[in-house]
Amino acid sequence: MFDITEGVERTRLANGLTVLTRERHDRPIVTSIIWYRVGSRNEEAGQTGKSHFLEHMLFKGTDRYGKGEIDLITLERGGANNAFTDTDFTAYYFNFAADRWPVALEIEASRMAHNQFAPEEFASEKEVVEEELRIGLDGPWDALDQAVWAAAFQQHPYHHPVIGWLEDLERATREEMEAYYRRWYHPRNATLVIAGDFDTRDALARVGELFGPIPAGPAPRPVASREPGQSGERRLILKRPTEMERLQVAYRAPEVGHPDSPPLQVLATLLGTGKTSRLYRRLEERDQSVTHHSVDYQDRIDPTLFVIRAEVKPGCAVGEVERAVAEEIDRLRQGPVADEELRRAKQLIKARFVLGHEQVADQAIALGMYETIHRYEHLAGLFARIDGVGADEVRRAAAAYLVEDHCTVGQLTHA
Amino acid sequence: MKTSVPRLKAERRELANGLVVLLSENHALPAVSVNAVVKAGERFVPDELAGLGSLAGELLDEGTEARSSQEIAEAVEATGGELASSGGYATTQLSATLLAGDLALGLELVADMLRRPSFPEDRVALEVSRRLAEIRARQDEPRLLASDAFNEIVFAGTPQRRPLAGYAETVPRVTRADLAAHHRRFFVPNNTLLAIAGDFDAATVGVEVEQLFGGWARDPAFRAPAVPAPRMQTAPATRLIRKEKEQVNIFLGHLGIARTDPDYHAVRLLDVILGDSPGLTSRIPRVLRDEQGLAYAVYCHAARGAGLDPGRFAAYIGTSPGNQARAVAGLREQIGLIAAAAPTQDEVRGARDYLTGSFVFEFETNAQIAQFLVSAETYGLGFDYPQRFVAEVGRLTPGDVLRAARRHISPDRLTLVVVGPV
Repeated sequence: MFDITEGVERTRLANGLTVLTRERHDRPIVTSIIWYRVGSRNEEAGQTGKSHFLEHMLFKGTDRYGKGEIDLITLERGGANNAFTDTDFTAYYFNFAADRWPVALEIEASRMAHNQFAPEEFASEKEVVEEELRIGLDGPWDALDQAVWAAAFQQHPYHHPVIGWLEDLERATREEMEAYYRRWYHPRNATLVIAGDFDTRDALARVGELFGPIPAGPAPRPVASREPGQSGERRLILKRPTEMERLQVAYRAPEVGHPDSPPLQVLATLLGTGKTSRLYRRLEERDQSVTHHSVDYQDRIDPTLFVIRAEVKPGCAVGEVERAVAEEIDRLRQGPVADEELRRAKQLIKARFVLGHEQVADQAIALGMYETIHRYEHLAGLFARIDGVGADEVRRAAAAYLVEDHCTVGQLTHA
Repeated sequence: MKTSVPRLKAERRELANGLVVLLSENHALPAVSVNAVVKAGERFVPDELAGLGSLAGELLDEGTEARSSQEIAEAVEATGGELASSGGYATTQLSATLLAGDLALGLELVADMLRRPSFPEDRVALEVSRRLAEIRARQDEPRLLASDAFNEIVFAGTPQRRPLAGYAETVPRVTRADLAAHHRRFFVPNNTLLAIAGDFDAATVGVEVEQLFGGWARDPAFRAPAVPAPRMQTAPATRLIRKEKEQVNIFLGHLGIARTDPDYHAVRLLDVILGDSPGLTSRIPRVLRDEQGLAYAVYCHAARGAGLDPGRFAAYIGTSPGNQARAVAGLREQIGLIAAAAPTQDEVRGARDYLTGSFVFEFETNAQIAQFLVSAETYGLGFDYPQRFVAEVGRLTPGDVLRAARRHISPDRLTLVVVGPV
């Protein structure tokens, strides 16, 4: 079976930069992606959205590259670049054909230490980020999602959305942004992943030349905030002019690497993946009360949420859908799942992992993300951990985590 | 810089019943993709039954003469594989992505769903009710509303003006008998392609395909019906739709080009220069987003939707209501400029290098390769198209782009649609 960690090497430069290499010559493509262990999780109240805004500013020019030049180099070399920010990380990638990829290293080294923050660029990009935020406000899901996370986390920074609160963005200053960059963008807080058709020795030599001289930087400030336990369901209602009501049910769930995480992943799959899943059969087939549903439990550094979403058909009541979801959860708490159902859920997790990592870029993303939030070797044991989950463990995880007292329920209803 | 052209090994077979089989082995991962394509969709559906073609596509995996919906789902999901069926405008597709060892099962299911779907009454009713809800849900998505309104004008007089989903008035009219008749008429082997890419042995799979599909009877009388061709609008048009939202969603453009248009490559190049390129290198995103800060989402392209029929030439921007006039003026200015003067040598060189250098990324996954095999067959491109693409695009000049712009872009005939607090 496919092992994404096979042949991966970890190298650490003297300044603390972690480098993961995965050399494979089956396709003439190289992805390089650099991860900073900073995201909305590291933001303080009143300063939200900075990690994501900073990601935008890293395309606005460095000491070596003028504004627009990073994109132009990418274009002329027939590549692709982009970046993404989440709660726990910010990442920047380049995909190039194998004969022209090392320019990516030059750009990332320059961006890590010498990004420029021209006042006019900052002002103009602030408008762009605010427009990005408004797209979310106009969509049906973001507002509900933000309200649920904000209610579920009252102390921990998972409280606020990755894109930030509009009011914080509006008052953000160039000076604060640059200080934030200086605090977090350092070799010691970064992982560089190179995957695909390249020579590891040559690549590491070039990495050493380019990144080696950059100072290690200050020790990253740990996130001290811990969310206290929840004792009692939380509920919220958002009213909007909408055609469809929507439901989001979120349970407190453990962080990456926690021993209860694999049974919860199995639970998420057997509840929500495919037409054989319990919520599909219940909500879409038996009750015919929703158009779509999803179940999402993503690995994060700190304890997180196990989230169920459903879009309610016109004429059906969001309260009825919520009751049906609760009944299905209750069944999982009460009795063990059948062997066949358990086997299918495990196979879905494993096969979808293989099928979801065909592209070199996807492989590099998985390795870098796990190295940043935990350690990449975690992926080597993924299949064994999933295979080891027993029916009773699934029932116990449901009984321990999918409980009303640890739940936040959000409903989006007609204004 | 030399160009990395994908090394694609593929073969084409035609069964005695006319089914075209396209195979490409790729052993990078123990995985495989199957893509079965019937050359029929909403394009052949009359207005009063709009949505029938897309419903037929979505219902393919909802039951056959031999298997129930749940039996199909259980068979696929027990392997961990993914199965998707959909009905588009010109084609209906069944695609499966599987671990390599599950290919035989996947092919058996695909053959069953293509040849013998039963469109069970209860599943039809369920799909119709879901579809009606989805049509309502579009009201919550202002960009989709704007896009629908734009198509209504740009593709006037053809089925292309309709949303693929159909309308709230037409979808409930679709019956099981309509679906079965649509299937009988169009789902014949001599109107179908089967593409398989990934980790398999072509000789073995060839035998399996013959066993599963060889007995499917050709329809000697099959002829694709004529469809009215969309016509370029002759005058500008404007449509404003009021919605209480944070942003205005703006589309500006007109009819585009077909995939077989001799200017297709020049228009691809034009797109990269004008509004469809990585990062913010092309003119419209560079000026309206990077320089003026008007939007996060802004782009423009003419070749992306090119198919059997012309697609659309469309610029899009989502911006705050206060920026509307500047945004529309900015889009108009850039569209006017590209049709008035040749781009610079540097722009053309950059766009050429991008298109030829990035072509390798269109052949990374099995699903992409299977999709390429289908396009190669549909548009007569040939399996050597990657090499030809690089050579032909590499020869294009600023003069070629200007000629294509003058032929295909008419700044005085633009349709403007705005959805939001207008």
